[in-house]
Formats: sequence, C-alpha cells, structure tokens
Amino acid sequence: MKKSRFKWSNLYLILVFCFLYIPIFYLMFYAFNAGSTMNKFTGFSLAHFGELFADTRLIIILLNTFILAFLSALIATLIGTFGALFIYYVKQNRSKTLLLSLNNILMVSPDVIIGASFLILFTTLGTAVGSLNLGFITVLLSHIAFSIPIVVLMVLPKMQEMNDSMVDAARDLGASNFQVLKDIVLPVLSPGIIAGYFMAFTYSLDDFAVTFFVTGNGFTTLAVEIYSRARRGVSLEINALSTLVFLMALILVIGYYYISQDTGKNNSKGGGVK
Amino acid sequence: MKQPIISFKHVVKCYDDDVPVLKDITFDIEEGKFYTLLGPSGCGKTTILRMIAGFSEPTKGDIFFEGQRINEVPANKRQVNTVFQDYALFPHMNVYDNIAFGLKIKKMPRDVIDQKVKEALKMVQLAGYEKRGINEMSGGQRQRVAIARAIVNEPKVLLLDEPLSALDHKLRLAMQYELRELQQRLGITFIFVTHDQEEALAMSDEIFVLDNGNIVQTGSPVDIYDEPINHYVADFIGESNIIEGIMLRDNLVKFAGKEFECVDEGIRENEPVEVVLRPEDLDLTDVDHGKLKVTVDTVLFRGVHYEIICHDEVQNEWMVHTTKKAEPGSLIGLYFDPEDIHVMRFNESEAEFDARLDSYEG
Amino acid sequence: MKKYNTLFAIPYFIWLVLFVIAPVILIFGYSFLDSQGHFTLANYATYFASGKYLMMTFNSVWYAFLITLVTLIVSYPTAYFLTKLKHRDLWLLLIILPTWINMLLKAYAFIGIFGLHGSINHFLQFFGLAPHQFLFTDVGFMVVAMYIQLPFMIIPIFNGLEELDNSLIRASRDLGANAWQTFTKVIFPLSLEGVKSGVQAVFIPSLSFFMITRLIGGNRVITLGTAIEEHFLVTQNWGMGSTIGVVLIIAMFIVMALTSERKKGGKR
Repeated sequence: MKKSRFKWSNLYLILVFCFLYIPIFYLMFYAFNAGSTMNKFTGFSLAHFGELFADTRLIIILLNTFILAFLSALIATLIGTFGALFIYYVKQNRSKTLLLSLNNILMVSPDVIIGASFLILFTTLGTAVGSLNLGFITVLLSHIAFSIPIVVLMVLPKMQEMNDSMVDAARDLGASNFQVLKDIVLPVLSPGIIAGYFMAFTYSLDDFAVTFFVTGNGFTTLAVEIYSRARRGVSLEINALSTLVFLMALILVIGYYYISQDTGKNNSKGGGVK
Repeated sequence: MKQPIISFKHVVKCYDDDVPVLKDITFDIEEGKFYTLLGPSGCGKTTILRMIAGFSEPTKGDIFFEGQRINEVPANKRQVNTVFQDYALFPHMNVYDNIAFGLKIKKMPRDVIDQKVKEALKMVQLAGYEKRGINEMSGGQRQRVAIARAIVNEPKVLLLDEPLSALDHKLRLAMQYELRELQQRLGITFIFVTHDQEEALAMSDEIFVLDNGNIVQTGSPVDIYDEPINHYVADFIGESNIIEGIMLRDNLVKFAGKEFECVDEGIRENEPVEVVLRPEDLDLTDVDHGKLKVTVDTVLFRGVHYEIICHDEVQNEWMVHTTKKAEPGSLIGLYFDPEDIHVMRFNESEAEFDARLDSYEG
Repeated sequence: MKKYNTLFAIPYFIWLVLFVIAPVILIFGYSFLDSQGHFTLANYATYFASGKYLMMTFNSVWYAFLITLVTLIVSYPTAYFLTKLKHRDLWLLLIILPTWINMLLKAYAFIGIFGLHGSINHFLQFFGLAPHQFLFTDVGFMVVAMYIQLPFMIIPIFNGLEELDNSLIRASRDLGANAWQTFTKVIFPLSLEGVKSGVQAVFIPSLSFFMITRLIGGNRVITLGTAIEEHFLVTQNWGMGSTIGVVLIIAMFIVMALTSERKKGGKR
C-alpha cells in the first residue's frame, strides 16, 4: 500500500517537472532547427547560433545587461548592508517596524507600479534639475532602488544571528568602533552580504517591466530587446540565446549545489562535535 | 586598608522605563580576590558587570577604578576583560586569531603575540589547538578559549558572566576547580556572576547576594550560609527550614509551639522573628528524645543521604537530610543543638545585622 | 558604533525618501491631475463611471484569483512530495532553475507552443480534434502566467513544510492520529504560513503582468498592469494610468491585509 502511493507521488512530480521544463526544452530544441519557425523541425543546424554571435547589437546589449547587473548589485549591496546595520540598531520597536515596512514596500509592489512611479519620479526630477534623460543612468538608479530591500532582508537575519555579545567582546578586548565594524561585523555578515549581492544581481538580470518604463531610446537590456523582437514574431536567434542562457543558469545551479553541499557538510561536522 | 581596585558609590541604573534595575549600590572590590555576584535573573547582577566592563553607564552615582572615576570610559579603554555567557567567540576566526585579537589591536609584535597566545592556551590546557575552528570545539573547549582570550590581555580584573551555565553538570564541577585554581595562579581579581548558589559557595572569597537591584548581604561563603540575613538569603542559598517564631529574650526563642535555647542576641524581647534550621543540622531520634515531634510524610533517597519531609504538631513542614531511614507515616523525634538555630529579624539592614552579630560574637 | 551607523546609513535614507516615499506620493498625486496638470477628480470619475474599467478590474482580479488557485492546487502536493525525496535540495534547485531564465524567454516559448501550427495543436490533431487558437486568448494568458508563477508558489510552501519539526508529526501519530488526520490537523495548519507567502507572491504579479498579455493575450488590455502600461507608454495619459495604479496598490494592500491578518489569528 505504502509503496504504491509512493509511486503515485513520483508520477505527480514527474508531471510537474515536465510542465516546468518542456517549454524550456522546446525553445532549445528549435534553436537547432534548420528552418526558421518553431512549428516544424526541418533538420539540424547551428545556423542560428552563428547569427547570434554575428549579431553585434545583441552582444552589446548582453554586455550592457551584465554591466548593469554588476554595478547595480554592487551599489545596492553597499547601501543595503549599512541600511540593515542601522535598522538592526534601532532600539524602539515601533520605529523598527516602520522602517522595515518602508523597506519592504518595493519588495511587494508590482513591477508596473515601480516602473510607472519611477518614470514619474525621473521626469519630475528632470524638470526640477534641468535635464535627466531617460537612459542608462535612470535604469541603473531604478535597478539599485529595487535591489536595496532584498539586500537588507538578506543581511538582517545575519545580524540577528550575530549575537550582541560578540560586539561587546570585541570592544572589551580593546577594539574601536571602526575595528569592530571591520574585523567582526562585516566578516560575520559576509554570507548574508554575498547572498544579497547575488539576489540583487539576478533581480537586475531578470527585470523587464521597470527597465521598460524608465529606459529611453539609447539604452536597452536583454529583456527589453527580447520583448521587442518577440512582438515582431518568432526569430530562432532568440531560441539560440535561450539555450545559452539556460546552460549558464544550469552551470550556476550545479556550482551552487556543490558549494552548498560542501558548507552543509562542514556545518553538520561542527554541529556533531557540539 | 589597601585602596580598593573597583568601587561603586551610590550607583543607580534605570533603563528607558524609569524602573531602576539597580537601586543605590555601594561596594568595594579588593585586589586579588574571587568575588561572586549571586542572585536570580533580573536582580541586577549582570548590569553591575556590564557597568564595570563599560557596556553601560550608571544613571546616578560613580564608579572608580584604582581611585579614578571611570563612568564614561568606553569598554575598549578599560583594563578589564570579560568572559561572556555564550562565550561570544568570533566564528570566522580560529582559536589562535580569537585569542590574539586583543593583542593585535594593541599592535604588539608578532613574536610576542605568538608567545602570549601559547602561554594562554597552556594555562587553559588547550596547548596545540591554535589552528582549530571555533565550530570544531566542544562547549567546554570553547569555554576555555573564551577564558584564554580574556586573560591573555593581562587584565587587572576578569569579569565572568555566568560562564558555566551552558555546560553540563560534570563539566561545570570540573571548571569550578579550574577557575578557582586559575584565579589563585594569576592572582588577579575575578568577578563572577551566577545564579547558581553552589558555584558561588564553592569558588568565592566573597559573595554579594543581590535581590531586586539591591545588595542584601555581603560576606564569605561560610558567613552567608551559616548566618543569612533574611528569609530571601536563607531560602536562596542552600536548603532551609524557615519557621516563624518569637524571640522571648536573648538566647531563647519560641517556635512550633515550644521554647528553644539558642545563641542569638541583641533582639528586642517578644519580637516576631524567623528561624532557620538547615536540613542537615536536624537529626532523627526516637519520639521521646526529640526536641520536636514530627510525622514522616515522604522519604526520598538522594544518594548521599535521605531527604525526609515531615510535619510537626502545628503543621509546620520540615525537611531533614540524614543517612538514617524512616518509614512514611511513622512518628519520630527531631533533635538539634542551640547553635543550629539561626534567628533572623524582619527588615534588618546589613549594617545593623553586622553590628549585632559583632556585639555578641566578638 | 552608532555614529558610524548613522553616517553610513545616509545613502539608505536618501533611497527611502527618493525611491520609496516620493514615488508613492507622486503616483497618488498624479492620479488627481488631468493632462494639463490641473487638479481634477475626473480620472476617478471615469474609472468608476465607465463600465469598461470596472469590468477590466473585475476580470483582472478574477483571472489573478484563478491563476493563484490553480498554482496553489498544483504546488501544494508538489512541495509536499518534494520534502519526502532523498536529494530534496537538488530537486528544489531544479524547481528554482526555471526562475533564473528570463520570463520573457519563457513567454516567448509559448508563442511557438500555442501557435495555430504549434505543438499543442499537433497534439490535438493527433487525437482527431480540431485545431484551436490558444495564442491571443485569455486562457493562453492564464496558462503562461501559471507556468511562470509555479516555482514562486512551490518554494515558500516547501520551505514552510521543511521547517516543520518532525517530532510534531511523531507526536501527532503517538497521540493516535492517522496519517490523514496528522496532515489535516498538524501539517497543513503549520504550513499555512508558506501558503500565504506563496499566495502573496503569485496573486499580486498576476494582477500586474503586462508583457504576457501583450505577447500571449494578444494586444488586448486584460489586466490592471496592461492598462497602466497602456496609459503611461502608449496613450501618455499619466493621470489615468496613476489612477489605475492606485487601484492596483489598494488591491495589493487588501491581499496583504487578508493574508497577514490570518497570520495573527494563527499565532494566537
């Protein structure tokens, strides 16, 4: 009885995984199509990959997207980490809750709202300051803005894990404020900071809606480019691109899995001795 | 008398809600002794420790260190070090780096640091553990690292904030010996905070018993055990039978409906008092020879002794520790000497209490 | 410590004011402006008077509800079975993996799958059914939305179930509950937190997707999100766009309030 039920659950999981992966594999499959539609596979060809690599416009957009993600995540991590430090040291419960709710507004807001309100903000600022052209700067500022709260949320639990007596201990041993920050607080927070950086990075890579609202003519990210091409119809160059994106994500996942397995082992080792 | 190393003068501490955690505390700490601040959680003992360490400032009053007022001196500028309750070892550093932390901050030369860390590790019997990660150490070992990290800085006073509370019973007993020995070897002042009266009795030269933001009694472990100032101290330290009575005159007290000879003096005639009798001072005899006639309720075997709960004719409950066995329900006698009786007055201040004891004990 | 904190936190506060508080105020402000920049209530009047907007709002909410419901029904067993697997961390990563692929690529895949000559119709024809137009239909939109949101429902439920202390299940069995009773009385109530965060994570985006409606749902306005995009970027009527934005924000707060109010009740 128990055994057969176990099989049913596996069948269910297989179906769900099929649902999740068939569209992705479908995309990748047609990337190798000699024809030019996603309807009929007419023969194997790498032509679309050739097109992709020859498409300098797309390559530049790809680079832009990564530079944007790298920069916005870096700045968001810096600002967010110190924001988390500040929030942690707010003593009054009510102010703390208020700060956290404000922090989370952008986390729960729909993309369109963020995009639309940032568009209003930039035009308002533009008229106030003089000229603020929609483009790389506005996109970068927006990406930093919507990545900060996730960094705060990744760092704050690490603060809570770090018990206050550790800061006390460092002070007790003669460390100045700056030394406490440099030698104790930041190293202890580093897993949270790194996680925050990666989340911010993926948020930036993944974003379409906000960028779509606040970008001008001069600057495009991959997501916006895919959108405009997809609206024009099927182009198997995009399939080829998806294949590469998927492979990259797969490598990251495998790498992440091994890293987490490793640290998991270390943790359990420590726990065992405890 | 030598100048005390630490003095508290009328120190009051209030947090945000204005309810004082410490109410007018005054005491002196002499150099080279083992002090214990003893009391239940919330009595203010940790607050005192944090003020000595420099983590919080008194609301009123002054703290002196070797005669210098240090109220506003920050923690990193004080010559005291702390062993924290949860050890507060830095998880991202190995044993060596943890212990060397304070020395590196002081910018000592590398070879001196090496030397000192080695010595400190030897002192806590962890020689050779330099490269270990904190997560690879057991609770007892972490405890030792925390101690080494503090003493390597050669503080004038070592503060210990319930450092043994996270250890299991056996290890705790072993560490009591080690701490006591370490203190005597280093010859520096230890201030130890605990809620565990056994720890306090076993290790201290001097115990401060705290209750609700006040120091209620100061003295050696023996003094405090034998002559508790009031119900609270008697109850908190050791097991005790506390019975209400009346002091008829010097050396004669009445309780449980009978009059007993005792050795306490200086109390008004017919003053209502409380009487303490420690369970181990009560002996079982047959009914005729006993000073009190009691009925046995329960008998528990405790290993070294039996713990017998019984009640007398006026329904006072008595606890007896004895190696003799008794049958539940049986009628037996309890015998004790006049010296075993300790009489306590209600609301007697420590100064009055000490003066009264001095007047007849010499 | 404090001095440094405040100093270093200044950029964070600039962010709070400029990118959190100001945008909220601006979007509320713009909803009261007409195209000339004068104060007006006309946007709200239009919204409530014309059946078009109310109908669209109702549809959007209804679709978001359906999407959330179906993803929940599919996700709960998935998450539950996943917790029983041996290498569950690995399987969970396989659930997360699709979220790392840009949702536009995934939506794009469905253009091929749904097309009149696409795979679904090959499949239907194989069983002798007439080809059916999925692309540019509301059903098509909902399927793609569900597809994209599925991992965001599975992950919080999985986490909720993972956190559940195994000894509670043993205790329940020990107290005489059978497997089903243990599930309904212990496991499900305790995993409700995860379900709620999943509902939050799915419902709100479902109201606001505009790229999927554009790509899959045909060029029609079927969600609040599409309406906002239309007014901001196509017709350039920011006032009306902001008004619909305010409606969306209010809808968001209602969802949040509903899911967190029950949270309190559960804790009590």
